[in-house]
Amino acid sequence: MNILLALIPLTMLGVLVAVAMFFWAVNHQQFDDLDNPGIMPLLEDSAYGEPAAEVARSNDPTGRDPG
Amino acid sequence: MNTYAVWAHPQLAAQVLHIRRDGRSEIAVRVAGLHSAQQVFRLEQIIRGLPGVQRVAIDAPAKRVRVVWDRQHTSLPGLLDAFANTGCAAQPLRRGSIDDVRSRESHDALKRLLVAGMFAMQVMTYAFVIYIGAVDFVDFTTRGLFRWLSLLSSLPVVLYSATTFYTGALGELRRHQLGINLSVSLAVLSVFVASTVNTLRGSGEIYFDSVSMFVFLLLAARYVEQRARHRSGALGDAVIDAAPLLAERRHADGSLETVAAIELVAGDRVHIAEGSTVPADGVLENAMAEVDEALLSGESRPVQRYRGERLIAGSLLLTGPAELRVEHSGVVTVSARLNALSTRTRHARVASTPASEREIGRFVGRVLLLTTLTALGWLLVDPSRAFEAAVAVLVVACPCSFALTRPATLTRALGILAERGVLVTDSSALTTLGRVDYALFDKTGTLSVPQLGGAAIEPLCGNDRNVVLQLAAALAHESSHPLARALASAARQYGLPRRAQAVQVNTGAGISGAIDGRLLWLGHADFALAPSGHVISPDLSSALLLADQHGPIAAFHLDEQPRNDAQSTLDGLRDDGIALVIASGDSKSRVAAFAARLGVDDAHGRQSPADKLQRLRAARQRGLVTLAVGDGSNDAPILAGADVSAALGSGTELAQAHADLLLLDGRLDGLVQARSIARQVTQVVAQSRRWSLIYNLCAVPFAAFGLVPPWLAAIGMSLSSLLVVLNALRVGRVGPAASPVLRA
Repeated sequence: MNILLALIPLTMLGVLVAVAMFFWAVNHQQFDDLDNPGIMPLLEDSAYGEPAAEVARSNDPTGRDPG
Repeated sequence: MNTYAVWAHPQLAAQVLHIRRDGRSEIAVRVAGLHSAQQVFRLEQIIRGLPGVQRVAIDAPAKRVRVVWDRQHTSLPGLLDAFANTGCAAQPLRRGSIDDVRSRESHDALKRLLVAGMFAMQVMTYAFVIYIGAVDFVDFTTRGLFRWLSLLSSLPVVLYSATTFYTGALGELRRHQLGINLSVSLAVLSVFVASTVNTLRGSGEIYFDSVSMFVFLLLAARYVEQRARHRSGALGDAVIDAAPLLAERRHADGSLETVAAIELVAGDRVHIAEGSTVPADGVLENAMAEVDEALLSGESRPVQRYRGERLIAGSLLLTGPAELRVEHSGVVTVSARLNALSTRTRHARVASTPASEREIGRFVGRVLLLTTLTALGWLLVDPSRAFEAAVAVLVVACPCSFALTRPATLTRALGILAERGVLVTDSSALTTLGRVDYALFDKTGTLSVPQLGGAAIEPLCGNDRNVVLQLAAALAHESSHPLARALASAARQYGLPRRAQAVQVNTGAGISGAIDGRLLWLGHADFALAPSGHVISPDLSSALLLADQHGPIAAFHLDEQPRNDAQSTLDGLRDDGIALVIASGDSKSRVAAFAARLGVDDAHGRQSPADKLQRLRAARQRGLVTLAVGDGSNDAPILAGADVSAALGSGTELAQAHADLLLLDGRLDGLVQARSIARQVTQVVAQSRRWSLIYNLCAVPFAAFGLVPPWLAAIGMSLSSLLVVLNALRVGRVGPAASPVLRA
């Protein structure tokens, strides 16, 4: 049972490290937007290179902006 | 892009910039056209790439972007230009809009939740060892060690995660209320203290596992509720930001330009039409104006202000028009007040009413009584089990789900409605709307949009067509009535209107004023011809007349088209069993024709605001629940007098100030949506309440007789809260209105 004396402080340490890491992540806005970053890898690279085309699309009157 | 150059003005910049302690500037802007994740990313990358930018935070549902940057590298107009170049035009928001509350709240809740979760798991492993130890191979000292470890591990849960309940309970006590935070705090602290005492003594039961799990599950339910609330809040913000307070600035040549009120600077001259909000502090430059300063003093009564006196930003102009010379801009108090005005609707988001708080207070009182009775009962029978049974009752019967039902459901409903173009300024109105069976509509501006066709101008007595239009437009320009607006906008293409002096607007009748010394009247035939005593042929009696002291000058035949969705809205409401009435100040024949076109039988013309109110009162006396829909300042009395009222977002601010619902983008069908959502809210609230009552009634007897261990009570109670929150999310998911959400 003496192994407990080593393992218990170790698990405690593990929990504390996990909590510290999580606090860091929360403070750095890692949990603020959970929807959009997931789509990032799916975007085509060209979207970043051609602002003009993108501007034209955002001005598209068929967008869902009401009246 | 010189539109943004004005923001180089230091007074304007001061209104929107927050200077941080590190010397950097922070700004919140509303951006248009953030439709896809792709655009969000592109915008973020481009703004981040600007020199001096330190942080960019995009809140896509709220359409808000916050930027922290160094102004030495990029100027404010430069930053706004950069936004515009990406296709996402940015409108700076007042400094007060930079609020961290939402993200601070959710960060805080997330941390508490995780700490509770991590340590609750630790405590649970130790508890498991103790349970096994009671049976078998763990010796007595090891068991003691694990009890101490449990105590140690539950400390962060009780002393950090659960503090949100303690502060809530203290707040409730300070307000002399019994709330759910109190009963949760009592349960957590009493169980924790008792278990600590038992650990110190080295004998007796400990419940560290139950208490940690209780806190964790409860925080989880609250976190779900908070996320939903923040999302609705963000949607509401987006709608509010979309309609900034506007002002009409007068140029040196007398022409008017519409600008955002935030862009006014000292010395500007502003024209205010009746029923509009005073956009900035300033000095009155015309003879007299009557204002309602309810927003500032809390008391709604007309106050008369004379030339040279000050008008205060945020008050409503009752009789107008008024000319104002702006004195201040960028003053903190003024912007705070205007912020309060535009966030009027935000009060409703708290979504709790005194009535429901009293109800919860009674509920908690009964639970505490029941807990005491259980403890006393067991003390007589078997004192060793008294504590456990009492705690189980306290936890099991905690009315968390009961208390969450209404706020969670209403919050969800308000968010859904904001998304569909209906702003609810009073959440209790939503409940009433579900019971409405009588609806009174204003006609002009509400059901119809008046337009002036070219052929509809009829000069009389040989006057020139363009001249009469100019004269009429000069008067019409001063009023906010929809007919006047239609006239003024029709005249715009014929050049600048002339400037009218000594203008007076008589609500429900017309406008009078002097142009180049000539006294003129514009309005209903009765009003316009009163000074000259002329009588006019009946076929002109329904037209808008322009006249001077000698007689009529011109007649304007305004064409009224029903709004696109007027027919479908009225049909929808009628199918829902609501009696429809149209009451208008217009002539009887025109009202009757218009009503027939929309299939409404009950229509009344020549109604003054007092007549309309009388009609509404009569309906209320018959026991009907009434809805009033209007848009103009003359509708304010009926909007205030009805059980529920709706105003069009395009209407005057005076009307909006009295309305419970605001229909944005001129969409009447928001009423049908609001009605169906209101019905759903009533259903879901009733269902959730039934559920939580049944659960409590079933669980309490078992707990009182000592058959429910505290850990099971904790799970049961938390799950029932979670169930209620998830049930609330059903609002707006079902029914025919679901399609716009799917598209979004």
